[in-house]
Amino acid sequence: MAPRHDCAADGVMALRKFKGVGFLLMLLALWELAAQAEWINALIVPPPSKIFKLFFELVASGQIPMQILVSMKRALAGYLLAAAVFIPLGVFMGLSRTIYRLFEVIVEMLRPVPPPVVIPVALLFFGLGDEMKIFVIFFSCAWPILLNTIDGVRGVDWVLLNTARTFGLSRAKTVWQVILPACLPQILTGLRVSLPIMLILVVISEMVGSTDGIGYFVLDSQRRFRVAQMYAGMLALAILGYTLNQLFNLLQRLLLPWQRGRQLE
Amino acid sequence: MKRSQPFNWLGWSSFALLLAAWELIAWETPKLLLYFPPVSRILAALGDALAAGTILQHGWVTLGRFAAGYLLSAGLAVTLGVLLGYFRYLHGLLATSIELLRPMPSVAIIPVAILLLGIGDGMIISVTVYASVWPILINSIDGVRRVDPTLIDTGRTFGLSSWQILRQIILPAASPYIVTGLRIGLSIALILVTTAEMIAGSKGLGFFILDEERAMNSANMYAGIVVVALLGYALNRLFLLLESRAMKWRHGMIVRQTA
Repeated sequence: MAPRHDCAADGVMALRKFKGVGFLLMLLALWELAAQAEWINALIVPPPSKIFKLFFELVASGQIPMQILVSMKRALAGYLLAAAVFIPLGVFMGLSRTIYRLFEVIVEMLRPVPPPVVIPVALLFFGLGDEMKIFVIFFSCAWPILLNTIDGVRGVDWVLLNTARTFGLSRAKTVWQVILPACLPQILTGLRVSLPIMLILVVISEMVGSTDGIGYFVLDSQRRFRVAQMYAGMLALAILGYTLNQLFNLLQRLLLPWQRGRQLE
Repeated sequence: MKRSQPFNWLGWSSFALLLAAWELIAWETPKLLLYFPPVSRILAALGDALAAGTILQHGWVTLGRFAAGYLLSAGLAVTLGVLLGYFRYLHGLLATSIELLRPMPSVAIIPVAILLLGIGDGMIISVTVYASVWPILINSIDGVRRVDPTLIDTGRTFGLSSWQILRQIILPAASPYIVTGLRIGLSIALILVTTAEMIAGSKGLGFFILDEERAMNSANMYAGIVVVALLGYALNRLFLLLESRAMKWRHGMIVRQTA
């Protein structure tokens, strides 16, 4: 693995970034021009200046932050619940062949269900409330978390386990002090994979059955033909997705300081 | 995970036990009948719907949209990904735009697509293409960039043309990454098709399931979910089958590398 930081590469990266940003600005300028000059239907594709202006107004007025807060509460509740249930289950399934076989068929039967299809079931049971979204997110984040944890536990080096046994560690201590730290990178991989799934599912479930949240906000804007507002909501979602990803990177760096050079490999 | 194992009696019996418990609880508590119709009733509903052909019609529509969207996006994303992976300049130009668009949850594009394209097949296929392009694109770029430069140099030394280098060196070397992207794209495409059908549509399995829920025909709803799950499972299996056929040559390589 190549070291991540060397100065020449940094310089090249900066240059490339500059070029990329320049190109993006050019595209936006072209869009602005096309919308202003009415080459494209500005009712459907409003100029970016209008979208950005409205976006800042909606952020300042607190409307967008409030919708995002509503959505994030649901999203995180489902996500953390999935982590709390499926990381331990994954550890057990990774440690014991019998437990693995006990659950294998059920997992394999549920896993191919595309997550949005669970929304009607959740609607039936929970109605339009928060529980519906939380359940849907819980269900869809479950599989990457579970499968990665199982894989991680199974991949723990035998030498580590034997060493723990030699030192007379109890079973519980072995799990806590040896197995969990050793498979933390894989567990985090599962959590990372489910992060965008979480965001997608909160948006979908708010589009299909809700009266608030950022997903509802975007679809509702479209239905009321508030087109610029719809694009502003999408911009907010893009920023949210980006921020979540960056926060996760930060978390990963805090939890796995020894892995710093190996990220994204 | 590992194949060629004895039949998992334990797993299947726990699954059967779960279904039996469901059946029993459903019969014991008529109040819950609406939410938890007994498994036997769901199977009966599934049989009826299959016999009447309604569910197959919806399934066929969904499959058609999925196939169109997925294949289109695979063709587009692999081509673009190989180009961007190979030509650094092009990648530098587009990298920022890609990085800004990618984190937006792809379903947010549905309202825009409705606005631009209405609520027909075109809209559903377009959002499917949009969403499944990202994993395939990113993995293809990555795969091409990770090709060992020595391989390419060797090819040049042997006087291979650029086209030959692309066909015979870059594509095979990048194919494991491309295949990973294609597999992620597959499940995303299925998510997007069913979602779009739920939000805007009058056909397809996504519509069928939500519609049956709204009509309080929960047995039909579950029957629809079983069909979608089977569809997802079958598509995944088909993918794995094609993958193991196409990537057969790799097994020898892995063994040699680890040996």
